[in-house]
Amino acid sequence: MAGTERVMAIEASQKRFARLTALPGMVVLVLLVVGPLVYMFFNSFFLKTLATPVPPRFAWFENYGSLFADHRFWNAFLNSMIIMVIGIPIQSALALVIALLLNKKFPGSRIVVALFLIPVMITPVVAGFEWKIILDDRFGPLNYVLGLVGVSPQAWLAQPALAMASILLMDTWQWTPFVTLVLLAGLAAIPKQVYEAASVDGSSASETLWRVTMPLLRPVFTLVILLRIIFIFKVFDPVQILTGGGPGVATETLSVLTYIIGFKNFNVGMSATIAVVQLIIITIIAKLFIRLVMNRREGTPS
Amino acid sequence: MTTTELRREDLARRQRIRTLLGVLRFALILIFLLIFLFPVYWIGIGAFKVEGEFYHYPPVFWPSQFNFANFGRAMTVFGGTQALTTSLVVAVVNTGLVIAFGVLLAYSMGRFKVGGENMSFFVLSLLFAPPVIATMPLFIIFKTLRMLDTYPVLFLSYILINMPFAVWVMKGFFEEIPQSIESAALLDGYSRLHAFWKYILPLAVPGIAVTALFVFIFSWNEFLFALIFTRSHAQTLPITLAGMTGGHQIPWGEISALSLIAITPGILLTLFFQKYLVRGLTFGAVKG
Amino acid sequence: MYGRTRFPLLLAAALLFAAKGTVAEEKVTLTVYGDQGQNLTPVEWLKPLAAAKGINLEIVGVPFTAVYEKLKTEFVGGTGAYDVVIFYPAYMGEFAEFGYIQPLDGLFSIHNPKMDDVVPAYRDLYDMYNGKTYALPYDGDILNLYYMQHIFSDAGEKAAFKAKFGQELAVPKTWDDLAKVAQFFTRKKGEKLAGKTLDQDFYGFAFLGARGFAYAWWGNIFGSLGGAYFDKNMKPQINAAAGVEALNIQKKLKEFCPPDVMNYGYTELMNAYLQGRVATMIQWSDVWKKANDPKLSKIVHDAGISQMPGVRQPDGSIYFRASAPVGRVIAIPTTTKHPKEAFWVASMLSLDLGIRSVTSNDTGEDPYRISQFDNTQAFEKFGSTAEAKNYLAVVKDNLNHIFPDINIPGSAEYLDALDVAVTSALSGASDSAAALNTAAASWDKITQSLDPARQKKIYNAMLEAWKKHGFWKD
Repeated sequence: MAGTERVMAIEASQKRFARLTALPGMVVLVLLVVGPLVYMFFNSFFLKTLATPVPPRFAWFENYGSLFADHRFWNAFLNSMIIMVIGIPIQSALALVIALLLNKKFPGSRIVVALFLIPVMITPVVAGFEWKIILDDRFGPLNYVLGLVGVSPQAWLAQPALAMASILLMDTWQWTPFVTLVLLAGLAAIPKQVYEAASVDGSSASETLWRVTMPLLRPVFTLVILLRIIFIFKVFDPVQILTGGGPGVATETLSVLTYIIGFKNFNVGMSATIAVVQLIIITIIAKLFIRLVMNRREGTPS
Repeated sequence: MTTTELRREDLARRQRIRTLLGVLRFALILIFLLIFLFPVYWIGIGAFKVEGEFYHYPPVFWPSQFNFANFGRAMTVFGGTQALTTSLVVAVVNTGLVIAFGVLLAYSMGRFKVGGENMSFFVLSLLFAPPVIATMPLFIIFKTLRMLDTYPVLFLSYILINMPFAVWVMKGFFEEIPQSIESAALLDGYSRLHAFWKYILPLAVPGIAVTALFVFIFSWNEFLFALIFTRSHAQTLPITLAGMTGGHQIPWGEISALSLIAITPGILLTLFFQKYLVRGLTFGAVKG
Repeated sequence: MYGRTRFPLLLAAALLFAAKGTVAEEKVTLTVYGDQGQNLTPVEWLKPLAAAKGINLEIVGVPFTAVYEKLKTEFVGGTGAYDVVIFYPAYMGEFAEFGYIQPLDGLFSIHNPKMDDVVPAYRDLYDMYNGKTYALPYDGDILNLYYMQHIFSDAGEKAAFKAKFGQELAVPKTWDDLAKVAQFFTRKKGEKLAGKTLDQDFYGFAFLGARGFAYAWWGNIFGSLGGAYFDKNMKPQINAAAGVEALNIQKKLKEFCPPDVMNYGYTELMNAYLQGRVATMIQWSDVWKKANDPKLSKIVHDAGISQMPGVRQPDGSIYFRASAPVGRVIAIPTTTKHPKEAFWVASMLSLDLGIRSVTSNDTGEDPYRISQFDNTQAFEKFGSTAEAKNYLAVVKDNLNHIFPDINIPGSAEYLDALDVAVTSALSGASDSAAALNTAAASWDKITQSLDPARQKKIYNAMLEAWKKHGFWKD
């Protein structure tokens, strides 16, 4: 309806508007977020430790070299990857199931959703301590309940494999509700008409789910899984409290190692190096994941 | 049999299946609820237990008495009241700041793709690095500004943690809003800002609400920055709680009590958020 | 009439003036730093006494695990926020060497802390640095051997033990004997213990296996085998024969421990003992104070405390060392604007309030002064006179054989590497020698990164103190 001139004017004003609205947010981001991160990059090239008043020494990639030669780093990297590779699929699937269950309005649904979210609200420090009690070999309710159904008590936090399982259990418990809620918000944005159209078309429940709901949910799903991938690499407090990285280093993740190196050893240079490496790793994973989703998305109208 | 009778039978069978599914749904929700809330239940009864009931075999599933002594002590002796106030102020203000600064940025990135793919990924990448490496430089900065152990130091440092997350999530929701709505408003002669305010924003409300909820929770539960940047005047709940879990004698009763109190604002907020979730549903009708 | 009202007015004015004169002295505000909770209770007690002297005390409490990180951050950042700091002595060397805390000898005249009253080994190794006093003691944490008394005096058990091992059943004084006792008393549910049938599995021994302080339980054994952290040339000795043997002894003992012992922190270890699950265990002194409280303990008046096991020497005597992880000392930062008042606070906490602190249920402190150890009466609230006497004698003895945490600069880092090695080996993830070799290699790297010449000088000064107490022979 509009002439070419009008379209161009609209586009120009659109660009201006876009940039203007982006400005305040960007300023804040750059000032408060980007600054320290640049500082971090910088530090990774220095042999710098605050454990001693020795001036920092520029050392090219020496930090990176010693990091990659250190078994403890690879162990931490492996632990973080294990948690991610096993935890994310479980949490995503579980969250989807629960979100679908909760998507229908029923009396008390508001309270139920609020109740489901409680695990996310529990301070991670407290969550760590509570799970320590719950998983206690002798005095914890989990082993007691397992005992009632004939399973012998397990030393959950004292054996390397079980300790890892415990971390996964606690993380799943605390964060699945988060994914659930975001998915619920995504589901809520799907208009009723879509479902009505599908049922008019004679689509069965499962067909509707896979062919209609899932594609519409995909963007939100991608978003939240990406976030979970990032967060799961950063999870620190509960792990530190539940196992301290132990037994031995069986549950020492990258975040725990970074903390120890940065704060117990005050080796600023090395902790910056780990952070940079972690950043690169997550970037690769995130890009791969996005590419994977984009490929599958080809053909679906935006 | 007549067609009507067949149809009635068919309808009746469909009705039975629906009821069955309904019951199944109810049962599943109940099971999940029980599993996810068991640890919370454990904390809850812990708030009423006496000292000897925590490390006891068999485990105590129902406390011997119900009094609120632990709650009282948690709020007074252990500084719970002050921590609760501090956490509330910090979380509310920080959520406000993050949403205020983030909404526009998220909108322009989601709608106009300002900066394109790279910018979007850049914002996300700000989340990748663990905050621990930012503590020392920020500490020096805040010390120079004489902001340590004040409320503002937490307002600002939490922006670092929460803003990339908020922008990223809200951007996703803005992306899903069809451009046609905006175009329609523009063609009707409304200004862009008006279009944004009256038509786009309401549709984005579920996304913004869920973001705000989580930003609140993340600020509420943040530990590291609160530990390093505050001392005694701006101590938040996580620090107080962690402090109660000292090396030796751990007052589990009081910790459980304070933890219960600590989750109340979050619950109230979620209940409140639900209203906006529903509101989003009705506005979704406009999309169709 | 005029005269009569004038005099009282003048008197009132004069009094007001006098009062104002005394109150006009400056009120000083001091900030005290320590780990949050009960360990700061003595500071609360001090508040009114300080106020009377014109000192206003503000307390900053931080979580137990964050004491080092937060304090170090504040020191490095040069904030000068604290006037009195309470922390774990393992970090004293680092703080003293880098000038974060100041020597205190010159301030003794303000309020003499009576350092001769402090158990000598504890004083020399945890309060002194480089020949000067840098910290005053606040909490005398030391590890001790605990046991369940009645099973050792039971006739049936005694006979069975003699039959099995050919020696008398007694509270073990060597690691060998401990292994025998632990093996002997490890029984399954349903078997008998001292005439009673067990309703749960019972174990002979328990230790702290959780990451953080596990190294100290290894330290008991390592120390008794004559081990030291480094030799005089800063070559790590943790992976020498004594170190590997200590780990192997601990591995053997682990066979008789509860299955989740690698997860045991303070609470789990204490509860295993107080709930009657183990025959013996090693833990800090304050467990004894809780053992006779029926709310917490099932072994009331059955809790025995004894000398740390050691190694029998050729001359028949037993050489033992007791680790002292955690513990608390008080120091004065160099940045304080009121060193005199700060020292008064520190000295009051260490000396005057000491006895109340170590005998209270509201604090977590343990005795560290000879005067406290001589004060049997004050400890009788926790047990009978005989029990209190025994407790005090044993703890004092263990304190005098202290195997301190390494407290030269970088101690947090050294101890973390050691902790990783000990817990890895014990959890079966790696073999003893390999784990310790890795830790030793890390130790070398740490030393290199911290000015090796200075580390050597500082460590040798520490060895001199060890020599003085018979813990090191050149």
